[in-house]
Amino acid sequence: MQAKFQMSSELKTELDKIVSQYETKQAALLPVLNLAQEKYGSISPEIESWVADYLQLPLMKVREVVSFYTLFHAEQKGKHHFQMCRNMSCMLRGCEEMIEYLKERLKLEDGQTSQDRCFSLSTVECLAACEMAPMMQLNDRYVGPLTKESIDQILKEIEINN
Amino acid sequence: MPILKIDGKDIEVPVGTSIIEAAKKAGIEIPHYCYHPGLSVAGNCRMCLVEVEKFPKLQISCYTPVTEGMVVHTQSERVKDAQQAVLEFLLVNHPLDCPVCDQSGECELQNYYMKYGLYDSRLMEDKVKKHKAVSIGPTVMLDGERCVLCSRCVRFCDEVTHTHEMGIVNRGDRAEIEVAPGKEVDNDYSGNVVDICPVGALTDKDFRFKCRVWFLAQTPSVCPGCSRGCNIEIHWNKERPYQTPGERVMRLKPRFNADVNKFWICDEGRYNYHWIDQGRLLKPMQKRRGVPHEVSWEEAFGTLSGLFLRPQEMGVIVSTDMTNGDLAMAQQLFVSELKVKNVAYQWIRKSGKEDELLMKADKTPNTRGAQALGFEDRSGEIYEQIEKGQIKILFLFGHNLMEILGKDQAEKMRSHLETLVILGPHAHEGINLADWALPSAVYAEKNGTFTNFEGRVQKISKAFPPMGMAKSEREILKEMARQAGIHINLTV
Ligand code: SF4
Ligand code: SF4
Ligand code: FES
Ligand code: FES
Repeated sequence: MQAKFQMSSELKTELDKIVSQYETKQAALLPVLNLAQEKYGSISPEIESWVADYLQLPLMKVREVVSFYTLFHAEQKGKHHFQMCRNMSCMLRGCEEMIEYLKERLKLEDGQTSQDRCFSLSTVECLAACEMAPMMQLNDRYVGPLTKESIDQILKEIEINN
Repeated sequence: MPILKIDGKDIEVPVGTSIIEAAKKAGIEIPHYCYHPGLSVAGNCRMCLVEVEKFPKLQISCYTPVTEGMVVHTQSERVKDAQQAVLEFLLVNHPLDCPVCDQSGECELQNYYMKYGLYDSRLMEDKVKKHKAVSIGPTVMLDGERCVLCSRCVRFCDEVTHTHEMGIVNRGDRAEIEVAPGKEVDNDYSGNVVDICPVGALTDKDFRFKCRVWFLAQTPSVCPGCSRGCNIEIHWNKERPYQTPGERVMRLKPRFNADVNKFWICDEGRYNYHWIDQGRLLKPMQKRRGVPHEVSWEEAFGTLSGLFLRPQEMGVIVSTDMTNGDLAMAQQLFVSELKVKNVAYQWIRKSGKEDELLMKADKTPNTRGAQALGFEDRSGEIYEQIEKGQIKILFLFGHNLMEILGKDQAEKMRSHLETLVILGPHAHEGINLADWALPSAVYAEKNGTFTNFEGRVQKISKAFPPMGMAKSEREILKEMARQAGIHINLTV
């Protein structure tokens, strides 16, 4: 049997603080998951069940939320995570072509991470930045409207900084 | 109480009633998937949209409470358009292979399509594929592609059993029912998720592909599995008996009763029917020089009624599986007419699990009924008197002495008796002890009543005739009495 997951005590203190701001523990689910992913890089099944215990929620309720949001992922992502919006506005403005182009440039399929763990590519639902369509979220940064040229530019910058 | 108008009809309902319930009261059907009166309102399927005057948009009738003077239309063009659109959405990724789906014939997608759909498919794209034929528990199978994501099953596990095994994962057209990692839908009531699933997504391993539902007959009855007496329907193969040879009952389904079991039954009760047609005693048997011989009912009645001349040496142990009619007949004959002193009831099964929802520890249906007719739990005294040689004749109903007393003790008991008469539906090793084994009918083969633990008298109906030459205990005793010149007319 594998050892039970231990949340770092630092983070636990931070989480306690957040939880205390809500009327019910359960309401803190999203921020708790968010911080956990920030710290550990992904929401593993162990973290899922830790959060369920911590917030006294059935495990399935946590799984539902984690799987609903593309924001959360079960695997570790590369250093540069490209999250390409595939929803309505971006699609009307040509995101499909941009996604294909990025796949080609990174030699990655949707959901994959490069072997050197430098790049990850995901497609996600509306990021509430339709005015920038077609757009993406690169780590914490919103970028758009995307063109093949702007994608080239971004990749070049990353290369230089590496 | 507010009065509202639905499709031109005035209806008065209590404050807080939803439009869908008010319409039901007026005999107006509003199609729905996610709404179930035994669960919380989810409002996610949008099948129940109706037009309410002065509301700019269509409203979901499962969630919208009625108000005084409200005017509702369930048949307007806008409503019909919406119903069609919702169905088209729900069916976009649906496999549409009803001929190989076990839900066919009792599927709300089929039913509503024929009633509210009837559009031509406009789908040019490939359908989204999902998991199929997934075992999600000992009795439940999931077909993800047939699911309409109404979440009834999820709410059942959250709100009724509080076991939380199920959930909907992912999003949009990739959303699917899933079971918590390492868990199964394995609670005492899991079969109910199949009943409430409006489509073919959840099917019952015990029933799937056994019999097409349109070959089934339905008979209202009461579960004999414990003293709760949940109301059930017996679904039996009426039209294609040769497809399930030797097995008449195909499944048991809950029947709504607001006061007893609401919409549910437990799994113990649900799957408790295979015995009905298995290992039955088919003919009256008499042991002659140690060897059982088939005899006619006439012979049995003729000889056995002779025993009625010796009531002082007689013992009678009835079972709490018998209906009130059967018990009343035993009471009339043995107690009132023959004045037999040693009459008692015995539980035929050991007590079992009890919970807050439905299950009761007494796993027999009619203990209260037996008590009301004056029978007492005194079988121990009868066994003692047999050992002392005071009782020489024992009428035993439905019991297996080997099981109750253990093999050695049962054989010893037997050796003290001159005549052992066993009336029961099944052949078992204890039957070999009997001088007379008389085949009786099971609950599905007779009309009558059971009295549940609260004292509620509930009716059971005969689904099909007794197997072989079996007769109800009531008939057997009545006939035997007649042979002895005793005429009993029961009104129960
Ligand atoms: S499996 Fe059935 S009950 Fe459960 S969400 Fe799907 S359609 Fe509804
Ligand atoms: S609770 Fe009792 S009566 Fe109800 S279904 Fe279960 S066994 Fe039958
Ligand atoms: S659709 Fe892409 S940001 Fe809204
Ligand atoms: S029944 Fe009203 S929204 Fe599903």
